[in-house]
Amino acid sequence: MISAVIVLCSLMLFAVAVFTLWWMLHAWRTPETLAATKFADPDGTGALSFSLLVPARHEQAVLERTVLRLLESTHPDFEVIVIVGHDDPDTAEVAHRLAALHPEQVFVVTDTHEKKNKPKALNSALPTCRGDVVGVFDAEDQVHPDLLSHVDHAFRDTAADVVQGGVQLINFHSSWYSLRNCLEYFFWFRSRLHLHAAKGFIPLGGNTVFVRTDRLRANDGWDQNCLAEDCDLGVRLSSQGAKVVVAYDSAMVTKEETPDSVVSLFKQRTRWNQGFLQVYRKRDWRSLPSLRQRLLARYTLATPFVQAFSGLLILVGVAVALFSSVPDVVALISFSPLIPMVAMFAFEAVGLHDFGKQYQLTIKPSHYLKLIIGGPFYQLILAGAAIRAVWRELRGRKDWELTRHVGAHLGVEAGTAS
Amino acid sequence: MATVVATVLDEERPDPISEPAATDPRGRLSQLLATRPDLVITALLVVAVVLVQGLNIDNFPTVSDDEGTYLAQAWAIQHGKGLAHYSYWYDHPPLGWVQIAALSWIPALIWHGPLVVMHARVIMLPVSAAGTALTYLVGRRINLPRWAAALAAVVFGLSPLSVTMQREIYLDNFAAVWMLAAFACALSPRRHLWHHIAAGLCAAVSVLSKETMLITAPALVMAVWRGTDKATRKFSLVGFFIAFSTIGAQYLLYAVLKGELFPGAGHNSLIGALQYQLGRGGSGNILKAGSVSNMTLHWWLVRDPLLIYAGTAAALAALAVRRLREIGVAAVLLVAVAMRPNGYLPAMYVIQVIPFFALAIAGMADTGVRGLLRLRFGVLGRLDWLGLGRWRLGPRDLVAVLAIALAGVVAPQWEAGDETADTAYSNNEYVAAADWIRANIPDPAHQRIVVDDAMWLDTVRDGFQPGLGAIWFYKVDLDPAVTRTLPHGWQDLDYVVLTSIIRQDPNGLPTVRAAIAHSTTVATFGTGQQQITIQKVDHTGSGQ
Repeated sequence: MISAVIVLCSLMLFAVAVFTLWWMLHAWRTPETLAATKFADPDGTGALSFSLLVPARHEQAVLERTVLRLLESTHPDFEVIVIVGHDDPDTAEVAHRLAALHPEQVFVVTDTHEKKNKPKALNSALPTCRGDVVGVFDAEDQVHPDLLSHVDHAFRDTAADVVQGGVQLINFHSSWYSLRNCLEYFFWFRSRLHLHAAKGFIPLGGNTVFVRTDRLRANDGWDQNCLAEDCDLGVRLSSQGAKVVVAYDSAMVTKEETPDSVVSLFKQRTRWNQGFLQVYRKRDWRSLPSLRQRLLARYTLATPFVQAFSGLLILVGVAVALFSSVPDVVALISFSPLIPMVAMFAFEAVGLHDFGKQYQLTIKPSHYLKLIIGGPFYQLILAGAAIRAVWRELRGRKDWELTRHVGAHLGVEAGTAS
Repeated sequence: MATVVATVLDEERPDPISEPAATDPRGRLSQLLATRPDLVITALLVVAVVLVQGLNIDNFPTVSDDEGTYLAQAWAIQHGKGLAHYSYWYDHPPLGWVQIAALSWIPALIWHGPLVVMHARVIMLPVSAAGTALTYLVGRRINLPRWAAALAAVVFGLSPLSVTMQREIYLDNFAAVWMLAAFACALSPRRHLWHHIAAGLCAAVSVLSKETMLITAPALVMAVWRGTDKATRKFSLVGFFIAFSTIGAQYLLYAVLKGELFPGAGHNSLIGALQYQLGRGGSGNILKAGSVSNMTLHWWLVRDPLLIYAGTAAALAALAVRRLREIGVAAVLLVAVAMRPNGYLPAMYVIQVIPFFALAIAGMADTGVRGLLRLRFGVLGRLDWLGLGRWRLGPRDLVAVLAIALAGVVAPQWEAGDETADTAYSNNEYVAAADWIRANIPDPAHQRIVVDDAMWLDTVRDGFQPGLGAIWFYKVDLDPAVTRTLPHGWQDLDYVVLTSIIRQDPNGLPTVRAAIAHSTTVATFGTGQQQITIQKVDHTGSGQ
């Protein structure tokens, strides 16, 4: 009996780990796949107009630099709409000053909602957008001047409804968890999202995402009550059959920073996971046309929880196999989930090497060591966040947790890396 | 660059070629030949090899004790007795006979021959079939034209040496096929990460089937390097190594879980077995007349001198040809290890070399033909100096003449060898002995009979108790678990089936010797080397 349970659990864990690994490595499957993840070179003619939304909250320190950098964009036709809260005079002051300096291109929208969150801010600005395409950036994003031209080209070249650009956390050296966090983004935007785009089911990232304005308006913008409004939008659009294109180019990714402490990482993950749960329960994904897409949707939205619990289960399984007497074959099988796990570590090390090369960062042996040793601890944080998310959801606590603390924090609610 | 982000699933368009157009069967076959020529060629080659190897497979060559050993161990797995019927002592990794066990339902479907080992040989036919197809595939993947890839497959499957060795239930046959599969995956034209991971898996299975296949690993790594693209190589190489090592590590893990990694009192161990194998007495210098290795080499040369000589030469030459280099390296490494002055060289070692020899020969033949076709004969080709004014000799004619001449040399040699294989009866004595035991020894459940490995399964089938009733002859003296059950030594034994394997045993085995000395011959089969006698132990006698 105990043997049967061990074998069943081990094989399930093995399958889960192999799937996760396989999807994580999507971009490197063949040289052709890798080549196809890039932006095509633009043809120089801009045909679309862009409205770039920059929600800013207590971000007076970084906002100006971000907007000025956006204004350096080589694209001929775009506007920047900064969204500030009515209760945030410092940021509003910076925004209004920028609008006065660039009256043709920079506009300010004031969000007057009593309780604030990012989807509410974005929805406040949606009616004023004049462009064909709405793009979302965070207040501390560094955006490449050529990005818009490339995105413009991608829209026209592929008849896309949505273009998701790359987002990359870059401060891998800040701490042990930021190293893992950076790599998570690397694998997510460099590889996994492309698979989702190809399969027709994609949870979008929170920024560097571009959507045709009419599509957005037809959907009444973002879901104000969802903690992962970006993911939700992606799921809704995929379910409507929208064509989503993902492009990654290390020269043109939007660079960001990791959460500033383990606690904020933990809270951020709780929010994402809770958001994923909400999206799962909204059931928009059920209108996806094929069973495979629906399975992928189920699995993707449940991934944070599967990952959290499989980590724990592996430990339990190995302990049971070592300390209880089961037949040799059963013991051997109980170790099988370790195979994809070891493989995962090895591929992460290769990913770290690749990451260093693409962003011209020096990766030292100590970083590889940190990556490996940090793995289980990072997994623990994720598992904790997943459990806490379930707990909060059950208790009906659906508020955004980051209200007062930080401004730099808001930036990182970006990707939906899981 | 128009490759943006293409993310839509291509809509499948109806393929006009695959539409069933003609109903005429001849039309369909020629259509298949036109669209999938490699498939048709492979199928024909496989059929030819299976026919030649399958004909008379039970009667030639003589059953060997190794076949009996592996089959008995597979029998132990099938019957849930663990990795061996006596205690498993890490002589070889067990995956080889795990595969034998997985295939051993096949013979029962076909016929129940007189000797278990003989009729179990049928399971080697799918193995040979896979090897033939994979040799062709690897040939194509190192850019051989179809004729040359087919030549490689023919050499692999039809050389008299192959026909003899690939019929036998040897672990090496499984290992060689898995290594061919690893090369085929490594050189896959799609350069898919999954294929490179699969190459690592296949290589691990190969080495866990027969550990000596590890010798070719450097060549396989070269093949993976060549088969990968610069952009994705890092990931492919890591995938390959991880697959290879994590699967290989399962063997270590097994030993650890059993508490049998390190040597210690009262149990077998992986490291202990390794020490034994490394310290095992060599079989002498292969080039020195009279050494055991040299006799083994001679035995191979008797079966097919052409394969050995041409294969060695082609392997060395292949090192200089870029597309054949990995094949050349694999073959040369295997040859170099065989030539170690004091290494141990088992007779079936050659099985691992055959596929690489076959590919090297075919590759060099293709290189030669390409060179010849580039020649310009000029005046010489006009032949009017021979009085043949109207004839012109072109490079193609020269190739044709050479091909016919070579076929003329090889064909009779192979024909003779393969005919022997397909007509000789080498196991009559064993069959007769097994029949006699079945008919003449009453109450087998309470008799103790000493047999060699080749006959063990037959005695078990006839009702002797596996392990302690039917006893592998060397376990009598070498396995404490068996010796413990023989308090009166030779007097506790009832019969000894004396075969050439027991007569040649180098271990001495005092109890077995004593039992033979205190016995009378009750039946004799055959003469000379192959003679088998059945000795009834005389419990009261004082010996002769």
